[in-house]
Amino acid sequence: MKNCFRTSVLFLAIALVASTALAQEVSFKDPSGDDKGPGTYVYPTDKVYTAGSFDLTEFKMKVSGDKADFSVSVGTKLEDPWGMGGGFATQMVFIFIDTDNKEGSGFTKALPGLNVEFAAADAWDKCVILSPQPQNRVASEAETKAGWAKGAVVVPVRTKGMGRTISGSVALKDLGAGDPAKWGYQVVMQSNEGFPDKADLLTRKVNEFEGQHRFGGGNDGDCDPHAIDVLAGKGTGDKSEIEDQKKMLAYECEADGASKKMATLSMVRK
Amino acid sequence: MRATRTIGLALLLVAVAVSGTALAQQGPQFSLGGTTYTKWLWGNARDQGALYGFKDAPGEGYGDNGQGTEIELLIKAKPSKYVEVQARLHSRFYQNFWTNFGGFGSPSEDCIPNGCGEFDPRSNQYVKLRGVTVTLTPGYSWLDSATIGSSDWGMFDPYVVGRIRYIDRDNGQGLLFQGSALDKTLTWDAARISLPRLWAGPSYNTGTYHAADGAYVFQTAFKPSSAFDVTGLFQWINDIEVDTLDNNWDNGKNTRMRFRNTVVGAKAGIHPSATFDAKAAFYYSTYESANDLAPTGWGLNGYSPVPAGKHDDWSGKLNLDFADIAGSGFGINVEAFHIGAEYASMMAARRESDVLLTEGHDGTWALPGPNNATYGVFGGNPTIIGYGGWQGNAQQVATVNVDNQFTDFNEPMAETAIGWEGLTITPTFQKGALDLAAEYSYITYDTNWQAWGDDSRSITNSLYPAMDTLTGMGSYRAAYAPFQDKTTHIGLIKGKYVVEAGKGIDLFGKLKFIEETDKRLNDARYLPYKANDCATSGTLGCANVKNFYSGTNSTADYFNNPGVITGANGQQGYQWKPFSSISDDDRDLSYVMMQIGAGYQWTRDLYGSLEYNYYNADLQDGNTAFQAYNLMEMASGKHQKNQLIAKFRYSLGGLSECGLIYEYNFGTFEPDFGPGFVATKADQGTSNNVHVPVGSLGFANRYGGWNSLEKREFDQQRLKAYMKILF
Repeated sequence: MKNCFRTSVLFLAIALVASTALAQEVSFKDPSGDDKGPGTYVYPTDKVYTAGSFDLTEFKMKVSGDKADFSVSVGTKLEDPWGMGGGFATQMVFIFIDTDNKEGSGFTKALPGLNVEFAAADAWDKCVILSPQPQNRVASEAETKAGWAKGAVVVPVRTKGMGRTISGSVALKDLGAGDPAKWGYQVVMQSNEGFPDKADLLTRKVNEFEGQHRFGGGNDGDCDPHAIDVLAGKGTGDKSEIEDQKKMLAYECEADGASKKMATLSMVRK
Repeated sequence: MRATRTIGLALLLVAVAVSGTALAQQGPQFSLGGTTYTKWLWGNARDQGALYGFKDAPGEGYGDNGQGTEIELLIKAKPSKYVEVQARLHSRFYQNFWTNFGGFGSPSEDCIPNGCGEFDPRSNQYVKLRGVTVTLTPGYSWLDSATIGSSDWGMFDPYVVGRIRYIDRDNGQGLLFQGSALDKTLTWDAARISLPRLWAGPSYNTGTYHAADGAYVFQTAFKPSSAFDVTGLFQWINDIEVDTLDNNWDNGKNTRMRFRNTVVGAKAGIHPSATFDAKAAFYYSTYESANDLAPTGWGLNGYSPVPAGKHDDWSGKLNLDFADIAGSGFGINVEAFHIGAEYASMMAARRESDVLLTEGHDGTWALPGPNNATYGVFGGNPTIIGYGGWQGNAQQVATVNVDNQFTDFNEPMAETAIGWEGLTITPTFQKGALDLAAEYSYITYDTNWQAWGDDSRSITNSLYPAMDTLTGMGSYRAAYAPFQDKTTHIGLIKGKYVVEAGKGIDLFGKLKFIEETDKRLNDARYLPYKANDCATSGTLGCANVKNFYSGTNSTADYFNNPGVITGANGQQGYQWKPFSSISDDDRDLSYVMMQIGAGYQWTRDLYGSLEYNYYNADLQDGNTAFQAYNLMEMASGKHQKNQLIAKFRYSLGGLSECGLIYEYNFGTFEPDFGPGFVATKADQGTSNNVHVPVGSLGFANRYGGWNSLEKREFDQQRLKAYMKILF
């Protein structure tokens, strides 16, 4: 009986520790080969945009003490052809988080340059940006071009790339209260553009035809989502999520390039 | 009546307005943007020939002082969904100083020997047309786009057609056709690039007739998935001249080849997992130049982006990358490489790419003299980039056509990797706030040869452009030397660590070693004179009995014997050591570099870092018999260089780039030119000529140049502040 009690206590303790640990890490997978936005996008033609560079394959968020560590993996080895210094150059990642899970609370408008919006039930409260640009450049651009989201955009002091993974850490308190395991997440793969269009937040354009430094397969107006890959479905990496992504990023344009139906993202939750 | 008129006018205005709106929606789109870039240079070299730190082409200027602003207007129009037009109107810094008072510089006052002043376009705020491009996207199944005009050609390969920069990145112009099939998994690019007559041919020109010269490039890539890709490349360059022997002009004029260059290449990559990546590339080039239209040789130290004559060679590399092995944070990259001595692609990347994994040499030792001067033994050849050189390590390019022109000290330096072959291993480790990386490289050289690899020619009649000669501490564009038997070992470890204090303090450091030996002339049959030609005791003097390595060819024609002189202390001796041993020209470099630094985000907008770099080089680069090929300052001895670098980066919404770099270089050079000669004292003329104190010790070399034997102390400060705004 004593042994049984001890075993039960031990089991409960392990379960508690394990559940706590589980609660502190969230991860989602995304199918490979879906780096085509709504299904038609193609990479720019310059050789720095290597195949798979914008193919989101995995997202992880792990709480370590008072820090939240974010990592995003892509489909090929990261390279730094522009000498950004952080181990990667062409990618830029927007991690939108719905921390309160309340409909109508947060932003349905995404950050400028992405040309997407969020469903009301999945309005985002925080966005962590992983960029090869210096933190103060990203933060000041965000303040200038997305002043309406002041306090909601969080940029790691240092973001780095190794192998196929881009990572950065932010203070947990900057993301607000709550259990990260219960938050909703959406990851938007974009490309780092040091000299963006006037209103864009360091993002690269998607046009109808690809160019040396712009994606193709979209629209010359701003009615198409400038999102090359996103999390979809349940975030398991199942091939069916390719179709889920296409549906989510479906859009319609007016003849003059204005938006008729904007691509609407939803969050992925555990 | 008035009401009717008013209503009529209102209706008319509405109609016009509606019509205008419709036009705006359906008609051509036009946009205008721009950038402005302001630069402030300050340095104690007190040069003011241009607002660029380095430019060494004859007749051009350089400088480390001055303020200037340039602007470019970015014009973009889309007449229809199929047609897009882009262009830039770009002013240039060059000599457009603020002190010109808006273009009103003195019309007669020169700021460089060949003049600038108000009537020189380089200093009267002229604006140039740049980057004019028309892109057609007709929507054909077989053609994705046709581009007519400017490009940086970055879609090709740095070993074949590289991203080309010459002040701007899109000065090259041509036709580019791009297409795809199999749902974009198969792509092709075909281009006809007009050959830049400024530099894209033997002796940095394309002859008299340039207008029809071109490079023809084709590339096709098959990328069925992100796990596998294969690419094929082909380039053909045709530089032609009008045939002067064709006297019948009624049927037009015949042309003939001046220079041709063909390159074929193949690349493949497999990327099966997140932890393993493998890539291989192979390139083969042939080229030839017409003997009567292009130089047939380059003397001992000619300048050309390509050797003379007819050659072929190959280059290749194999890369194996292992990342985050078993989730440990440990990775390792391995690269085996060979870039043939005679490999040449005229349009290969000159600067904008780094084709090898190795760090290579350091930019602070860029050119042969102890202070980065070329031909510093002769008057009128001061250092241009300065004692500090360029910051950081070099990036390697697969050409001798290296371009570091129009750069400042804070930019990376490119160095040629022609002839390099060997292996680089770079372990890396990342865990939390710690990043570590190391490197070991073993490099030997395909240019290791004796008498340029051809006994039948005089060493002063080379097919290979030796540029600034492979002497001294560095020589970024020199790949060839008459005699070479060289190996290089590079080892380093570097790291970054973020200390959790405040916003995090970035600590970084590096320890780097280079061991480089070059026995140069390593066979006694190439010695200039017969054994014991010069007496070493008793009555001094030389019999001058030449040693011929073939026919009438002797290195004595270049490394001739010294006269007997009376030295500074009254003793009799040789003016320089007779070249009597194969060790007289040996090079042996032991090099250590240490770096330590820290950076911090001081405010939301301001990031600052401070670093200290220490360089210690113990160099034997031949003795006074060798004299750095009689052309450069001798650099044998002990070099110690210290660098303090402060960098600030300021961010503010709307500022694309803004920052300041201050650099303080100080150090010493203690010459050790070996025994076998007597030193003399510099007279007033020498002092005036090469800026050494009257009465200081040194020796006059074979060509009358002066090598000082005095310890030199260097002190260089420089600053660059910059601001770029996109609007």
